[in-house]
Amino acid sequence: MTTQCLTNKKVLTKGNYAIAQAAILAGCQCYFGYPITPQSEIGEFMSGKMQELKRAYVSAESELAAINMTIGAVSTGVKAMTSSSSCAVSLMQEGLSYATADQLPVVLVSVMRGGPGLGNIYPSQGDYFQATKGGGNGDYNLIVLAPSTVQECVDLTYKAFYLAQKYRNPTVLLADGLLGQMMEPVEFYDYPYPEIDTSSWALTGAKNREARIIRSYAPLADDQCVFLKKLFEKYRIIEENEVEWEEINTCDADIVLVSFGSTSRNVKTAMKMLREKGIKAGFFRPITLYPFPSKRLKELSKNVKKFVTVEVNMGQMVNDVRLAVNGACPVELVNKGVGAPPSAAEIVSRIEELI
Amino acid sequence: MTEKNFIIAGFGGQGVLLAGEVLANAFMLAEKHVTWYPSYGAEMRGGTVNCEVVMSDDDVSEVNKADADFIVALNQASFDKFVSKIKTGGWIIVNSTLAKESKPRNDINYLFAPITKLAENVGNVKMTNILALGLLAKASNLVSLSSLEQALDNVIPPHRKNLLPLNIKALKIGYEYDLLATQV
Repeated sequence: MTTQCLTNKKVLTKGNYAIAQAAILAGCQCYFGYPITPQSEIGEFMSGKMQELKRAYVSAESELAAINMTIGAVSTGVKAMTSSSSCAVSLMQEGLSYATADQLPVVLVSVMRGGPGLGNIYPSQGDYFQATKGGGNGDYNLIVLAPSTVQECVDLTYKAFYLAQKYRNPTVLLADGLLGQMMEPVEFYDYPYPEIDTSSWALTGAKNREARIIRSYAPLADDQCVFLKKLFEKYRIIEENEVEWEEINTCDADIVLVSFGSTSRNVKTAMKMLREKGIKAGFFRPITLYPFPSKRLKELSKNVKKFVTVEVNMGQMVNDVRLAVNGACPVELVNKGVGAPPSAAEIVSRIEELI
Repeated sequence: MTEKNFIIAGFGGQGVLLAGEVLANAFMLAEKHVTWYPSYGAEMRGGTVNCEVVMSDDDVSEVNKADADFIVALNQASFDKFVSKIKTGGWIIVNSTLAKESKPRNDINYLFAPITKLAENVGNVKMTNILALGLLAKASNLVSLSSLEQALDNVIPPHRKNLLPLNIKALKIGYEYDLLATQV
């Protein structure tokens, strides 16, 4: 299902295959996973390609096993990943909390489907909270990147490996069934980031050096306070340096539509349609969901009359926009529970109702 | 900005998704923006399957659109399901081997052709999907035969390359099918 274009460097490929291919190009040495729709193509691709390249592919017995295998692999300093979807990412929450405490560069690809519970296999953005707030215990953050096109599935997979290693923090590529299943022309290129030196902490065998232990257990209360302070100092640096977003037509906008991931495609079209009707609409798309572009939204709120978030869930990111804006102007929600995003025409008519 | 969308629909096994992939490749080769999106869900063997291809001069505005400019219906169930979704002035290309020649609307263009039978005449019933693409290329005038031929070469995997000449033959038979004769 991945085909070469001979006239230029582009290939037509599915989001899932694009992610898998990008992971391989990023230098992912180990893949662990258990199949689940709508991301099974990632494991399928890896099962062939990783063996061809003499890298490690393990079809894990469960998602619990997959995340813990990934923790084990990255603790040796190599790049490794797992991928899954919604109800099965739930099973990985304990592992993600541990990986955060252990400061390990786990990369997780989460291709969202309908929930809660077993839900269904259609596209959804219902795991915004799961990814950005976490279901594991304790104070922690995962770096979360949200692609909106198949090309961005490639770009942000590269970035996920880089940021995970740079900050020694688990990083999530948060896609959805629509992106995973659709095909678009993409361009692959060499991994554009510098390789991170992991030799100061990786478990590579204690020959000629002191033994190291990576663990999250701190039996003394004071030690844990020191650790948390250090961890959150790291998050402050991430928030300072790694926020990424896209904005269009916001400088004179009365109303700004905020949306992430595949839904933002239709929202961008809706913004253009509103402009054609003479409504001063702008478009704002967080690309990093953590760190969230709160500062920029706060700046915009000085001149904007209203924000509207558009999401395929019951209203999750809307809360982060409200926190960022902090009452400066109203923040409304246009949503759909699950499935392909509302059409641009529907978004336009629902926004006209709100004006 | 020109943006057109296509739905290709039929039974599971008729090569509907592959035909869409070939079409999307052809648009990519012509330097268009393009998105291919399949119906996926709790599908059953023998059930209907479809995919949508959206082609644009600019960023693709959205997928999973409410209506379509061109629809290829390879069986009766697909005709029944999609005939109401065609835009006024749009086209439906119907496999009359497996669907009745009825015209429930008078604001769209119909192209009835015995696509399965024509594919059998080519020598392989599996060529139904590619033969339909030939018809679509002619009716739409939006994709060239040479782009589609190159797209077939892109999509057909190395171990199936022996089928490339037959696919190209089917494509051409579809393309050269006399549209005017079917417009009566």
